[in-house]
Amino acid sequence: MTKRTSLLSKWEAYLREPFPMLVGLSMNRIFHGSNSSEEEDVNLSMGILLTLLAIPGGFVSIFLFDKYGSFLQWLRGQTNFDPIAAALPDEYFFIVLSMVVTGGVAVWWWDSIFPDRRDFANLVHLPLPASKIFLANSVAVVISTGVCAIDVNAASSILFPVVVGSSQTQLSFVVRFAGVHALVVVLASIFSFFAVFATAGLLMLLLPYHLFRRISRYVRTLIATMLLATLATSFAVPRMIEGLPRSLHSPLRFLPSAWFLGFGQLLHGTSDGALARLGHVAVAAVASACAVAAATYTLAYRRCFVRLPELADTPTGNLGTRSSSIFRLLDLFIFHTPFQRAGYRFALKTLFRNEVHAVSLGGSFALGAVFASQTLLSALNEKGVSPRPTAAELSIPLILGYCLLLGVRFVFDIPAHVQANWIFRFLLDTNIHEAVALARRIMLCFVMPWLFLAVLPLYIHFWSWTIAFLHIGFITVWFVLLTEVLLVGFRKVPFTCRYPPFRPAAVVAVITCVLGYFAFTAMTSELESDALASPIAGGFCFVISLAVWYAAYRIRRRALAGENHLMFEATPAADFEFLHLSDSG
Amino acid sequence: MLQAIGLSKYYASIPAVENVTFDLKAGEILGCVGPNGSGKSTTVKMISGLLEPSRGRVLFRGEDIHRDLVGFRKNLGYVPEEPNLYPYLSGREYLEMVGILRGIPQSRLGKKVDSLLALFSLYPSRHSAMASYSKGMRQRVLLLAALLDDPEVLILDEPLSGLDVSSALVLKSLIRALGQQGKAIFYCSHVLEVVERVCSHLLILRQGTVLAAGPTGEIQRRIGHASLEGTFHHLVEDVDPDKVTQEILDVVREA
Repeated sequence: MTKRTSLLSKWEAYLREPFPMLVGLSMNRIFHGSNSSEEEDVNLSMGILLTLLAIPGGFVSIFLFDKYGSFLQWLRGQTNFDPIAAALPDEYFFIVLSMVVTGGVAVWWWDSIFPDRRDFANLVHLPLPASKIFLANSVAVVISTGVCAIDVNAASSILFPVVVGSSQTQLSFVVRFAGVHALVVVLASIFSFFAVFATAGLLMLLLPYHLFRRISRYVRTLIATMLLATLATSFAVPRMIEGLPRSLHSPLRFLPSAWFLGFGQLLHGTSDGALARLGHVAVAAVASACAVAAATYTLAYRRCFVRLPELADTPTGNLGTRSSSIFRLLDLFIFHTPFQRAGYRFALKTLFRNEVHAVSLGGSFALGAVFASQTLLSALNEKGVSPRPTAAELSIPLILGYCLLLGVRFVFDIPAHVQANWIFRFLLDTNIHEAVALARRIMLCFVMPWLFLAVLPLYIHFWSWTIAFLHIGFITVWFVLLTEVLLVGFRKVPFTCRYPPFRPAAVVAVITCVLGYFAFTAMTSELESDALASPIAGGFCFVISLAVWYAAYRIRRRALAGENHLMFEATPAADFEFLHLSDSG
Repeated sequence: MLQAIGLSKYYASIPAVENVTFDLKAGEILGCVGPNGSGKSTTVKMISGLLEPSRGRVLFRGEDIHRDLVGFRKNLGYVPEEPNLYPYLSGREYLEMVGILRGIPQSRLGKKVDSLLALFSLYPSRHSAMASYSKGMRQRVLLLAALLDDPEVLILDEPLSGLDVSSALVLKSLIRALGQQGKAIFYCSHVLEVVERVCSHLLILRQGTVLAAGPTGEIQRRIGHASLEGTFHHLVEDVDPDKVTQEILDVVREA
């Protein structure tokens, strides 16, 4: 007991030394975000964040019991079961999952990996050598990467081998499989993290600082899209891997997740020539990513952090007035009142100039693009272009629109410099009832132009004028309905309200969004497909649209009947409420 | 104690500060004033070693500060213009961190931090996260951090920003007392009344160059104005405030 206490006090004393303290500061910045206002951050504690990151791997492993259970195999008549061969697609999925989650984390930490202005202001004037701050941050990055890689893969590294080995009698098989699996997924995570880190460092090094800041949001969106595309195609790739030995020039050679699968098979001792070659690439890729990240980090640190005050004093340039004629045109046709006009300008500039908003919106668009392209590819692979569009072909704009509308609605709730919202509080009459009208117009402005600029010409080209116009009309109705549903209870100026307190309903909201996706994209496109074939189905479709609109209208009326003033603070739900059971009225 | 010799800073060949020279001796309080964009902040960053000058040198006890930046900073207390603190640390945690990083022995650090927190009326909120601090409280934390290790040189950039009346009175009195104790203080501010009352010497900047430097009373005597405001206006401002006021009123009243 005494020994333990003395070790603990020694450890506590060590943590109060300058260097560990600097490492702790850097880790805090990495986990809590950089340069952000303390009041508007969603500050997840480190514990919650690590739990959230660990959940997917654990859940997926548990769901695989059905596939590997010996009793279930016996029931299915599978007597010659090769667990390693059977585990190949699942192994691939876990590799992709670890790369996507860790890569996603690195994209989220993009700004906080390097020391920021706050660090500069607080640390640089203290008697500390610059090399110490640099070294402390490097250690913090390595520790954060390690913690993240282990955490993301911890559950799957234990549960997945147990699940795969459930039909095996030898414990050594499980231990060996677990070791190989853990090594492969952790290396895949490390590669993913440092590849993103190296990209950030390289861009910081090659571009002028203001240009780096400007293009960061686009690069982050692009990386997020690539990660999502890798995840979305993770079920198709293992089938392609089976044909790898026959195809020397397969595009799989360029897929990092395939390299790590090859590495795993190499360690299992079951790899064929082609996969083994990919396995060797994996080792070189991890080493290269780490080396490039370290080199660019060192050089970018010298170039950017040490020169931060100079960068702060450099003029940021004119933001320009190029879009003023577009605004005038929109004022004429869409935004009629001063509130709507000012609100639209504010919303648009916030969306495109604030990195968090731009990246979130870009992410939702990327998600839509991945799902839409997947649906399009599978639709074309099945039949090619048919004389009348299939439900899948009709669903493409619906998928994109759903993700974009949901994304815009989601970012409305992300505050932008909430301390600056006093101007709205000061100027606006809180009894103004135009918040929904403004939000509706902004949301529809994001999706409607593309219907006419992209969807209409494409459907005219592949099918006919009639089908294209009917389809546009149908989609317009459903976009308006979706917007109405998403804006039920909305009474804010976008971006000016603090984060809503975490509600138990958040989980339900996520599930509703997922179910809503299938309802909105699959069911409505089936309905439309039927409506194009028969006028009766068209009438049915019209009735459903009316019912949805009426339901949204009634719910909004009821929501606004209680409190309908403009809000700037989302009040938490009361822990208890009086039921007034004795009241007669 | 602290000398600036021909300090210049250029951003892409555009001069932000040009040929700034002064000599800050022990016990002197040098007030740096100038309109927006005159180069005050750039000068502060250069003399505190945060920014390398394009030309010129900063000497501390006759040695170039960039030859031993760590050694110079051991003797430097710095209050930046913006109270950019770590919001998730409490005031006490922050000061302890600064103390540890400054190498103050931990045996006397805790007591010193608590005493200073109490004297600056921060003791009741010492364990609260600084995210909940007002601007004045954050400014007081910065001042404490600058004073913690009893530095020889103090560089204060708008130190009264956000302070309430009593804290401001304490600070003004403290600056004078520190000067009398032999500290060299560089005081940068827009509040001319305070500069006039606190500073023994003046450095007036305009468009990156020194317009006047010397003892406060002597500069005022030479210009022939009794107040610093009059002196400043005579030297720096090339606009007629009454004329500009009238023009603004005309524009505001426009239909």
